[in-house]
Amino acid sequence: MLLAGVAAAKEHPGKEYIERNGYQGPSTCEAQGCHPGTAKEFLDTVHWKHASPVPNVEGLEPGKEYGMKNRIYTMCNGNDIVNHLKEIPASPVTGKTKFAGCNTCHPGNHISDVGSVGKDAENAIDCLVCHASKYDFRRRRAYKDETGRVVMGQDRSKEAALSVGRPDVRNCMVCHESAGGGVLIKRGFAYARETDVHAKNGMVCVDCHAAKNHRIPTGFDPNNWASDGIRVSCEDCHKETPHKDGDLNRHVARIACQTCHIPRTGGAIAKDFTRWTQGADKFYEPTTLSKEANETTPVYAWYNKTVRNEPHFIGPKGSREEMGSRIYPFKIFEGKAFFDKKTGNLLSMDFAPPMSTGDALAGVASAAKTLGIKEYEPVPGWQTIYFGSTHLVTKEKALTCFHCHSRNGVLNFRALEYAEKEEEKLTNASIYFDKMAEQQKEEW
Amino acid sequence: MRKALKIKVAAAMTVLILLLAAGVAMAEDLKMVGDVVKIEIANPNAKTAKATLKDTKTGALVTVIVNDDLTLDKFKDHRIVVGDEIRCKYEVRDGKNISKYFRKTAGC
Repeated sequence: MLLAGVAAAKEHPGKEYIERNGYQGPSTCEAQGCHPGTAKEFLDTVHWKHASPVPNVEGLEPGKEYGMKNRIYTMCNGNDIVNHLKEIPASPVTGKTKFAGCNTCHPGNHISDVGSVGKDAENAIDCLVCHASKYDFRRRRAYKDETGRVVMGQDRSKEAALSVGRPDVRNCMVCHESAGGGVLIKRGFAYARETDVHAKNGMVCVDCHAAKNHRIPTGFDPNNWASDGIRVSCEDCHKETPHKDGDLNRHVARIACQTCHIPRTGGAIAKDFTRWTQGADKFYEPTTLSKEANETTPVYAWYNKTVRNEPHFIGPKGSREEMGSRIYPFKIFEGKAFFDKKTGNLLSMDFAPPMSTGDALAGVASAAKTLGIKEYEPVPGWQTIYFGSTHLVTKEKALTCFHCHSRNGVLNFRALEYAEKEEEKLTNASIYFDKMAEQQKEEW
Repeated sequence: MRKALKIKVAAAMTVLILLLAAGVAMAEDLKMVGDVVKIEIANPNAKTAKATLKDTKTGALVTVIVNDDLTLDKFKDHRIVVGDEIRCKYEVRDGKNISKYFRKTAGC
């Protein structure tokens, strides 16, 4: 009886309506007074616009929105504008073409694309790619319609519509695990039982990233600029004194939770957009060095949730002196691409030419044409990016006293603005010896 | 008598070393990149599947057994389909190729 009740509560209403009328897209979701105005509302979210106002990053044009739509950085040297979804010219080796582009994951049909508005855009929203548990991805493939336009297909079948519900991990990871050029490349975290304590406890992405009217809360990752204006943090669930141990609780004021509880990172460590490597399919990809989730160690820095943004560096601002700053872990990434010698700025790239022939400069030329840049002098250079490290959370393998307070500890106290004398004091076993000796006695 | 015993012990040691070496070799991961030419999965609740890849270097067909939930899920909802290029790592166990890593090479 009770179980039946739970099952019934999980079933999404409107099943009979869909059985009778089929699924036509957002209009079906809004029919019969269900979810009225939701499609229009969704068009104003980051998932649709791939951009938003960004108040915490320096060096941006006031009043302009930024995000995947228009950003240039060396993890993704293209963006939705210069490297939109298109048919890549045939490989000279195989004669075959393929479809690729930064906005492949955009939940529209590509005719109504990133940031589009109006009735057509509303009708183009692919609600089911995020909400259906039985989505058939054979239907979500790019193709050319009868007029030659590149269209992204959708699964609008009755079966998919009847499986609608709250997004599961898989719905989110369809896009978020493959960002940056492949599986676990950009973020480098696997949200799985083996790698994250929240996943182990059965939590799904939207338990923490709990949407309000399709606005998804996000953290303050120095390299994830666009946001829906609402934020998520550990403290939303874990109180300000989360440990039984008072000494650990005293750290919370200046040490972010992630610093101890996310001791590893993963994914791409470096990428070279000036040198493309031919793959087995004879198309080219930027040469990428990548590691598995939990295979690399983070770098630690003070962070006040504002971002230093320069052509060769994107990373945290903050200092020991500033009380709003805390020490956070970051996944460090280095990317090589072309910079304009005239302005010093990073140049963006249309991936279509290099993907087909390996000619990276042809990609720069194509992007410059799209952006109306007539004069530029491309020179290769490196950019360092600090990615926020907020997944791969562990309780059992969290850093403890000696991981930081020892000579070979993970924290570089001098780089974190501590004086030599302070470092000596902070990396001495006297800090934790009695406590750990007591713990050791209890454990055995 | 003592010499015969020594020979027997030496022979036994040799066999043991060979067996151990073979064991180590079998446990070694094999790596390949190839296009999916066939996916065999019994039903939507199946806990295992077979995927046949065509090695892009040699053209050889290699069938691997996939048991991990994430990849099985991708077979079931067709995020991985025939024609996709896969980077695969597998080990040979009891004469079968057991997948340890099965990912599409392409990203966004």
